[in-house]
Amino acid sequence: MGTAQIIQNLLNGISIGSVYAIFALGYTLVFSILGIINFAHGAVFTLGAYFTYTLTVGQFGINGLLSGVSLDTQLPFAASIIVGSIFAGFVGVLLERLAFKPLRTRGADSLLALVSSLGVALVLVNVIQYLVGAEIYTFPQEVYGDIKPAIMFEVAGEIIVIRTVQVIIFAVCMVVLAILGYIISRTKAGKALQAVAENQITASLLGISVDRIILFTFFLSGFLGGLAGTLVGTSFGIAGPYFGVSYGLKGLAVIVLGGLGSIPGAVLGGMVIGLAEAFVPPDYSAYKEAVAFAFLFVVLLVRPQGLLGRSLIQKV
Amino acid sequence: MALLELENLSINYGAIQAVRNLSLEVNEGEVVTLIGANGAGKTTTLRAVSRLLKLREGAIRFDGVDITNRPSHAVVRLGIAQSPEGRQVLARQSIQDNLLLGAYVRNDRQAIRDDISRMYKLFPRLEERKTQLAGTLSGGEQQMLAIARAMMSRPRLLLLDEPSLGLAPLIILEIFSIIRNLNAEGVSILLVEQNAKLAMQNSNRTYVLEAGQITFSGQSQELLSDERVLHAYLGA
Repeated sequence: MGTAQIIQNLLNGISIGSVYAIFALGYTLVFSILGIINFAHGAVFTLGAYFTYTLTVGQFGINGLLSGVSLDTQLPFAASIIVGSIFAGFVGVLLERLAFKPLRTRGADSLLALVSSLGVALVLVNVIQYLVGAEIYTFPQEVYGDIKPAIMFEVAGEIIVIRTVQVIIFAVCMVVLAILGYIISRTKAGKALQAVAENQITASLLGISVDRIILFTFFLSGFLGGLAGTLVGTSFGIAGPYFGVSYGLKGLAVIVLGGLGSIPGAVLGGMVIGLAEAFVPPDYSAYKEAVAFAFLFVVLLVRPQGLLGRSLIQKV
Repeated sequence: MALLELENLSINYGAIQAVRNLSLEVNEGEVVTLIGANGAGKTTTLRAVSRLLKLREGAIRFDGVDITNRPSHAVVRLGIAQSPEGRQVLARQSIQDNLLLGAYVRNDRQAIRDDISRMYKLFPRLEERKTQLAGTLSGGEQQMLAIARAMMSRPRLLLLDEPSLGLAPLIILEIFSIIRNLNAEGVSILLVEQNAKLAMQNSNRTYVLEAGQITFSGQSQELLSDERVLHAYLGA
């Protein structure tokens, strides 16, 4: 592999890896608060992409109940991606109220919450199919405005091509990570979130409404999921209602690799898996998905708590 | 009217009745001690006041307001803070952040900063370690942090659950002198303690809890020489 090829792979890897990171953070936030995996996160990913698509393009496709329906207005892409992700955030809030809270207040085992979220995921996927059909939706090229589709430069006599979309994806993810980091470590709501993650009873003794913090967490999680879906959608198109399923599984690999509940772990895990995939030789690209899990397998043999996870043995 | 009134409280843990028909009052400015053997229902009572438990029967009033059906976080806003048993500091947060979170219900930033410096004067050891994670503190320091953190909400009533548990005798004396200081500043205190003698010496009134029921109560000074208390709780 030449230098140029390595650089090419690195750039491809950090671009997709940054999306994996923000997507996986959605899992991590919910896990750190409730200790459960929200299996509907992949479906929120899909929904977010559709929301943004609909707001930008202003109409639906040729299949499903909503075929031929069009909106009165179209938003500029930058606005739709924010509004679409906010909608996805509210889907997260709804999820908490429908799939998680009723079980929690009855003191159900957290395994049940897992099954419940899996059920919601299936319902969401089917509702999407019913409403907009199973066709592939592709964002029109002009959503990014009047920019060149790719950037080219030369390294060691070879040409490296970076799609502008990849650069935008990476930039958006970095901005979102910075904002999220600020919210969690510097704001009052973020401090409260950390307190709830550590001990809910202590948090409520400090006057923190645990219920509200859980809702806030699900909103953030849904927002990140929806945003990740949109970003992948603009790069590769929205591949039907099952779009989010494989990303959902990969996201799980990311958080386990990084360490369950660890925010830096989710970011590192995302980058590692993105890069690992980018370095899969083109001849074997059909096995790209397997790479994430092979990586996970190897890391877990050596470090069962994940790359940045807390040791599983807790001090009492 | 008492600041805190518990009226005929009954609390069950599953089939077990933890507290039966318990009535108790804390007046403004008082230190009231609740003593009793392990499992008598002392911690349960404090947890009920902080609304962490469901009541089977009874009512809780604070400053005349019925708080029986209020959630925990709302009770803190009304002016009841608790330093829970086993300290329960947020181990993964710094000492400074623990104190800031103690003031979660407040929005007066300048006054919060002043209160933090006040807590550091009261507990100089916390100031030396303010950027350290709370989990790295010793037991006594964690206890100080738990009390300081509870004070950060500027409560009218402070609930202290076993502040002396597991601490060295000198630290215990220090903690009790701080409790007296806080009370002198006007904070009413409901204190649960294993160390009955020390608690009674530092309080106005005492309730004795046995198997979930108040068996007798009175002025702490008088109970300190009461036969029944001497035998059962003061090891005389």
